[in-house]
Amino acid sequence: MKMKKSSLMVIAALMSVTMLAGCNNTANTSTSSTASKATSSAATSTVTSENASTATTSAASSTTDASAVESTASDTSAAGEEYDPAGKTIAVQTGTTGDTYATDLEKNPEEGKEPAKIERYSKGADAINALKQGKVDCVIIDNEPAKVFVSKNDDLQIMSNPFADEDYAMAVKKGNTELLDKINGALKELKEDGTIEKILNNYIGDDTGNFKYESPADVKRDNGTLTMATNAHFPPYENVEGNKIVGIDPDIMQAVCDKLGMELVIEDMEFDSIIPAVQSGKADVGVAGMTVNEDRLKNVDFTDSYAKGLQVIITKK
Amino acid sequence: MNFFQKFAEEFKQNFIDEDRWMYLVKGLGTTLQITVLALILGLILGFTVAIIRSTHDKVCTKKGGHFFLRLGNGICKVYLTIIRGTPTMVQLLIMYFVIFGSVKIDKVLCAVLAFGINSGAYVAEIVRSGIMSIDNGQMEAGRSLGLNFRRTMTFIVMPQAFKNVLPALGNEFIVLLKETSISGYIALQDLTKGGDIIRSQTYSAFMPLIAVALIYLVIVMGLSRLFTVMERRLAKNDKR
Repeated sequence: MKMKKSSLMVIAALMSVTMLAGCNNTANTSTSSTASKATSSAATSTVTSENASTATTSAASSTTDASAVESTASDTSAAGEEYDPAGKTIAVQTGTTGDTYATDLEKNPEEGKEPAKIERYSKGADAINALKQGKVDCVIIDNEPAKVFVSKNDDLQIMSNPFADEDYAMAVKKGNTELLDKINGALKELKEDGTIEKILNNYIGDDTGNFKYESPADVKRDNGTLTMATNAHFPPYENVEGNKIVGIDPDIMQAVCDKLGMELVIEDMEFDSIIPAVQSGKADVGVAGMTVNEDRLKNVDFTDSYAKGLQVIITKK
Repeated sequence: MNFFQKFAEEFKQNFIDEDRWMYLVKGLGTTLQITVLALILGLILGFTVAIIRSTHDKVCTKKGGHFFLRLGNGICKVYLTIIRGTPTMVQLLIMYFVIFGSVKIDKVLCAVLAFGINSGAYVAEIVRSGIMSIDNGQMEAGRSLGLNFRRTMTFIVMPQAFKNVLPALGNEFIVLLKETSISGYIALQDLTKGGDIIRSQTYSAFMPLIAVALIYLVIVMGLSRLFTVMERRLAKNDKR
């Protein structure tokens, strides 16, 4: 009887110790983790130039049309030292272009180099968090969100990297050439009158915050609604502010809808759900950035490009 | 024919191309590993807590009672409240990003701890209900025949209690197996995440999701079969 009770006591003591330890840890680290959570994560659609021109229906003019936004692409080349991700543990957001590159580094390592190890997080911010905590060696993510993350975390840095420039484009349901042509037409007009450049410069570069896109007062919205699927964890392209989704993509799509006389509805979802949503008709257009590859082209069509992007590697200082 | 061709092409794209089926196989391995280890941890924790709680309930009815037993009971109650009061996913994220925030920990171990501790809370209440369902007379009879508390518990109360709680325990194991599907949140490639990766590469929803669902279904069917057999075995000596 006595024996039993003392062993119970030991168990009880052990439990209380582990619990207290857990609580202390919570108090110490919660501030840092919530702070970086708030910076949130990544998702933009990138279309590599060469792939875009092979897209079946559109995007033939993407490379030339992108000249309107060339100026913003020039400052995307990261400074930092060279960094070789071979053999390292790489964190990415599931289904992003960074995921594609990292999967390639894992499956087809260069001659004589070790394959990389890949960890796929649901949110870009979680990947950044894992990097901050030393759980992974680096993160591959789009350039502009990377800048936001690095500006908010002193201990991170962007390295110079081996990846090529990409074009961002919008995904439309395969075969929906009517909508595709309408959006491409609107995009062309918006590029010609400089609206897109103004929107981009409002978010990227040295001269931000000076242009707020506003719909013309006399727009008639009698052509129905246009539902846009996005993943609002990708500043400056899209992120949640208050209870609104703001950024480059919502602004451009608002401008497109103003041209088309349609009402814009934005649906926020997981990044890897966007293409299935477009495909199944739950959303009309996916604006959150995807690189065109064989598998994606089997499922959706892409519009002309409206911005340039680049994958970069973030490491801990 | 067209339908079958399309089906075959979809199948090839989702599972055969680039050896995508490996994501499911590796994911299944991880899922089973986490489930089995978490199950063991959950059983150990659960039975310990259940014994502390039920002994307390039986012994300390009045104001008095053993101090350490009361303390143990209090701690167990806090454990149950916290674990049952918060979502498993939040617990998993806390385990990974907060408790083990500053160390490079094996993610499977992290998931096993999170799911094991979670499952333990539910097992504890299941087992406690089993122990409490055994009439006090059983304990009294054992003690009056000269068995000590531990022996009465092990040889008289527990075997009867275990038989009673087996269906509920089986239920908890099935829930645990399926709950591990959230391990993808800490970038663990379990079965569900494996399907998600395929989905993110091929952008077709049907094949990967159905495949993942079928694999879970088959495992759960196997598990429930196992439990039916166990129940039947244990019920043998009920027939006279």
